[in-house]
Amino acid sequence: MTKRRIWGVWSILLIAALLAAACGGGATTQAPAESTAAESGSTCPEPNPRMEVTSTQLNLFVWTEYIPQETIDCFEEVYGIRVNKDEYSSNEEMYAKLSAGGANYDLVQPTDYIVALMIRQGLLQELDKSRLAIMDSLDPNYLDLPFDPGNRYTIPYQAGTDAIVVNTETVQTVPQSFADLWNPEYAGRLVMIDDSRAIIGATLLTLGYDVNTTDPAQLEEAKVKLAELARGVKIFDSDSPKTALIAGDVDLGIVWTGEAEIARRELPSIEYIYPTEGAILWQDNYAIPVGAPNLDAAYAWLNYSLQGDLFWRMLDEFPYTNPNLAALDFARENHPELYEAYMNSNITNTPPEELERGHRMEDVGDATPLYDRVWTEVKGG
Amino acid sequence: MIQRFRENRRLQGLLLILPAMFVMVTLLVAPLTLTVITSFGQRDADGNVIYTFTLENYWRLMGFTESGWDDLYLRILLRSLWLAVQTTTIVILMAYPLAYFIARSPERRRNFLLFLVLVPLWTNFVIRIYAWVMILRGQGVLNSMLGGVAGLFNAPFQPLDLYPSQTAVLIGMVYEFLPFMILPIYTSLEKIEPNLYEAAADLYANAFRTFWRVTVPLSMPGIVAGTILTFIPVIGTFVVSDILGGRQVILVGNLVQRQFLDARNPPFGAAASIILLVMTLVLTLYYTRRFGLGEEIAAG
Repeated sequence: MTKRRIWGVWSILLIAALLAAACGGGATTQAPAESTAAESGSTCPEPNPRMEVTSTQLNLFVWTEYIPQETIDCFEEVYGIRVNKDEYSSNEEMYAKLSAGGANYDLVQPTDYIVALMIRQGLLQELDKSRLAIMDSLDPNYLDLPFDPGNRYTIPYQAGTDAIVVNTETVQTVPQSFADLWNPEYAGRLVMIDDSRAIIGATLLTLGYDVNTTDPAQLEEAKVKLAELARGVKIFDSDSPKTALIAGDVDLGIVWTGEAEIARRELPSIEYIYPTEGAILWQDNYAIPVGAPNLDAAYAWLNYSLQGDLFWRMLDEFPYTNPNLAALDFARENHPELYEAYMNSNITNTPPEELERGHRMEDVGDATPLYDRVWTEVKGG
Repeated sequence: MIQRFRENRRLQGLLLILPAMFVMVTLLVAPLTLTVITSFGQRDADGNVIYTFTLENYWRLMGFTESGWDDLYLRILLRSLWLAVQTTTIVILMAYPLAYFIARSPERRRNFLLFLVLVPLWTNFVIRIYAWVMILRGQGVLNSMLGGVAGLFNAPFQPLDLYPSQTAVLIGMVYEFLPFMILPIYTSLEKIEPNLYEAAADLYANAFRTFWRVTVPLSMPGIVAGTILTFIPVIGTFVVSDILGGRQVILVGNLVQRQFLDARNPPFGAAASIILLVMTLVLTLYYTRRFGLGEEIAAG
């Protein structure tokens, strides 16, 4: 073999290797597990209570941008446990991966309507309340909800709404309802969370139907109407819709509480409008999948990461509606400006009348394929 | 026994290919079989697969749904094909001059130039695609630069609306796959004996004729290899279109990925991926029959 030939073979091998690496990208993200808390000099709060843990790892399967890095660092430092984090950006995605089997996650963060489905499918295990001292810190308003009566399987993490976000500096006519979003003036300027139930739900509301309808005719009508809107949507993004808003790629749309709050901190001309049809209300929860390999670490994580002197960080980093009274108390005493901002924001502190007229999504049972199909067909075209 | 093994060449050969066979069977044949089986199944209400035999998924892909004709999925297939053709063509046109330049450089400099081609690949693929978002977005790098230049000449400037769009996806794909075309073309260009050029010159061929009758035919294996290395991944990828298309440019890859995750319909996703596989296979076979299977592929 000549020298040239060898080089040729090498370059092909290299291409093959690079190609394999390129195709593998983008599926999951692995959190850097090295503890950096100690290096940065921050002192982590003591766990209270400190639990007996023999596991050396904890496998989290959580929403993107939803857990402060400090919390993970502190947990690793305090308990000496390695935290592995996989992320998802829709409940359906999480459900598909979990129900396919083979996953070995210790904790997941399902939203209300998918909790009911997961319980029905036997994917979650009952929580041992005697190991969950943290339950006492939680606001009873967020406990014992219809999707999990008596909180046998889940404990609340954060809550929020899906409503309209709008940059009042660039948008002349500010929409007041979901129906207003069909205004041709907004075409090509919209951002939406890539969330089938939320967006189909909002469309159903504009037609005067229930967000949990199982009527195929109503869903067909919603599909036709939504397809019209979807053509004017510039970006569907569940990971960080705020980025496009702040960068000025889009001017308005439907996003989650926390995304709107952060966008408004960056850009004061952002407003959060509760639509006249009523916003969509939701609650994210922690749950333990059946067969979780590191049960003791999972309970230690729940008690420690939700502890008031650690969970207050959420008000700063991922500001959703916080069901954790201990965290709010801690913030009021130690970070009053954060607490004030949280309480005075109509985004994070959902007004009571909006909670009153808002809509909650439920598991739609046999109609699930209809929703999935509407979403595929609306977004495919 | 050991004596017999020493003499038995057949057995030795079998033993040597076992690891590769094991990988092929467990990581290729088995999953592929499972995909084929799944593609004839159905989903239940909760998104679990029911294993039956129905052609429903394939009919739906072809446009025959229970509610009538719908060419949604055919359009997605065509869009993916068209994008792959566009990408490959642009990549060939961009890669060829560069590969030619490198192959004609002094021998000492060639490795350095090839090294430069490969340097961007050291950064993660997804990060490089996100970098394109920063460049292409309304108030991004490209528009600021163009705006600045226009400002110098007092020219009116309308920012380009490139991100997110199908054009942005095309740009991302071209960028991503350019090195995979440069390298094989370079390899085949570099192998051409300089004597041949001298012979062509002796026979009064001008520069263009030499290029067209000598260089291009001899570099064909590189083009074929590069085309296959570009076309096949482009047609199946979903990350570039997700990021640069704002999740609004749907390719077959996106369709498949979503059916397995968000839409919870593995049988339909499996059927779509089988169609994709068959389509790619037919095109590749035709292409390699037409232009010959490049040595570069055989070597890889």
